Amino acid sequence: MTWISKARLKATLKAYLFLAPFLVVFIGLVVYPIGLGVRLSLYGQRGARMWYVGLDNYKRIFADSMFWQSFKIPLFLLLVQVPVMLFLATMIAFLYETRKGGGPVYRFIYYLPYTIPGIVSGIVWSYIFSDSMSPLHPLLSLFGLENVKLLTRANVPGILLVIILWQFTGYTAFLVYSSLIAIPKEYSEAAQIDGAGLWQIAFRIKLPLLKGPLITLFIFNAIGAMQVFNEPWMLGNLVVLPLNYTPAMYIYNSAFSQGRFTYATAMGVILAVITCAFSWYILRSAGRQILGRRD
Amino acid sequence: MMRSRRSYIVFTVILVLLAGFFIFPFYWLTIGTTKNVSQLFQKSLLPGRPSHLQDNVSQVFAYQNGVFWNWGLNSFLYAAVGAFLGVFIAALAGYAFRKYNFIGKRLLFVLIIAFAMVPGFATTLPLFMLFRDLNLIDTRFAVLLPSSVNIFAVYMMVTYWNQVEDEVFDAAAIDGANDLTTFWRIGLPNVIPGFITLYLLAFVSIWNNFFLPLVVINSRARMPLILGITTITDPQGFPVYNLTLTASFFTIVPLLIMFVSLQRYFKPQIYMR
Repeated sequence: MTWISKARLKATLKAYLFLAPFLVVFIGLVVYPIGLGVRLSLYGQRGARMWYVGLDNYKRIFADSMFWQSFKIPLFLLLVQVPVMLFLATMIAFLYETRKGGGPVYRFIYYLPYTIPGIVSGIVWSYIFSDSMSPLHPLLSLFGLENVKLLTRANVPGILLVIILWQFTGYTAFLVYSSLIAIPKEYSEAAQIDGAGLWQIAFRIKLPLLKGPLITLFIFNAIGAMQVFNEPWMLGNLVVLPLNYTPAMYIYNSAFSQGRFTYATAMGVILAVITCAFSWYILRSAGRQILGRRD
Repeated sequence: MMRSRRSYIVFTVILVLLAGFFIFPFYWLTIGTTKNVSQLFQKSLLPGRPSHLQDNVSQVFAYQNGVFWNWGLNSFLYAAVGAFLGVFIAALAGYAFRKYNFIGKRLLFVLIIAFAMVPGFATTLPLFMLFRDLNLIDTRFAVLLPSSVNIFAVYMMVTYWNQVEDEVFDAAAIDGANDLTTFWRIGLPNVIPGFITLYLLAFVSIWNNFFLPLVVINSRARMPLILGITTITDPQGFPVYNLTLTASFFTIVPLLIMFVSLQRYFKPQIYMR
């Protein structure tokens, strides 16, 4: 230990005293449970009896079409909801810019849905689309569409789309807008002198500069899409949805309706690996940002 | 000139229409609290007449001998205590990262961030198994303990502490302040705005967390609002729409009050969902 100075040892001791509370809860309630989850995923289980089976659970999951079918909804959200939302949010952010001071009233109103828990927006929107209460029915009958069933299983992906767009578009627009106002004024002024119009500046000059933030937002939303649970869970109260409607619902139902705990834990591990693969990009840039400074 | 004026009007129309879309569910929820079930079934966009607001409110509070009060108090307990613990622990950790050049600093930070990327979903099931062995299932600790780990706050606290100037610490050292005093009296005031922002974000996210209590709580008396309101049924087990709506309204009112009154602290930091 001679190569480490006494001062450094002292600093290390002090630092770990300050870190101790975090390390205790972090190791006890995050690291250890993850390890436990990985270990349990290697066990077979019937009732309270458990025995080691190696990778059997994983082999069964890879052959379990119910598990892979549950990714239909996340994929739909990833390929439709996320791009639509990022497009809308970027347009809205450009619209904020045309207002005095960035349209604080609009920003406030658009942000509000984000403060609402997914369960409550699930309740409210599922009632809004329900056969018995939908305020949309009188509107539809104006167009001669009497007694249209809105809340059917076939429509649930579309309804999820509406709910999630409603919840997150305003917040995302706020984030895009924050990146937008960070772009130096000189860029658009120079373009204006060259005779570029408002939308030309927006698309040719500002949009390319938003690439980084938009990629980050895409990844965060992709992670959210993989884990979607609350909204379909609430919709499931008014329309019958299969146990494996999303991966998270399948994991929950396998564990708590069917009692297949270790199998559910193994699926959780796979879902976590998929999510972590998405976050790799963010992890890299976050580490660089923080550790690049003051060390 | 004409063209830009016309586009300004078009933009305004779009912004107002979108505002309508974002406001509509709030409006519908609010008028929903004034209706009984048969009024809800009339599908009108106007408040219920005669208003059943008082009926609904008193029924919600009288539901199952007033279990709604328990839910509200539980939500406050879980959110207020969990958020404070999580952010305070993070402030201590952030201080360690700022102040000391300790062994394993880089590795520890990377590990913390790496684990932040593991979805809460993957930890909740093993947590259930762990708490079952510790006899913590269906106790308030089963919600409070996991809420006190706030990795996101550690990450943010490291960036906040990094913004505190070296002079602050140098001055403290000259005054002969010890490490704890430096943290408490001199350092902490510098990161208080960030502390408040993180506290509010954590409060909201614990208040809104449905999955954790769903897994670890069984007794209605220990449920938070967000879980409790999904269990409202009549004695036969059928949903009671007007009560669920009124209870949902009361679940989001504290959030809306907080958001409106403390708006300046709710700066979006990073995407959390």
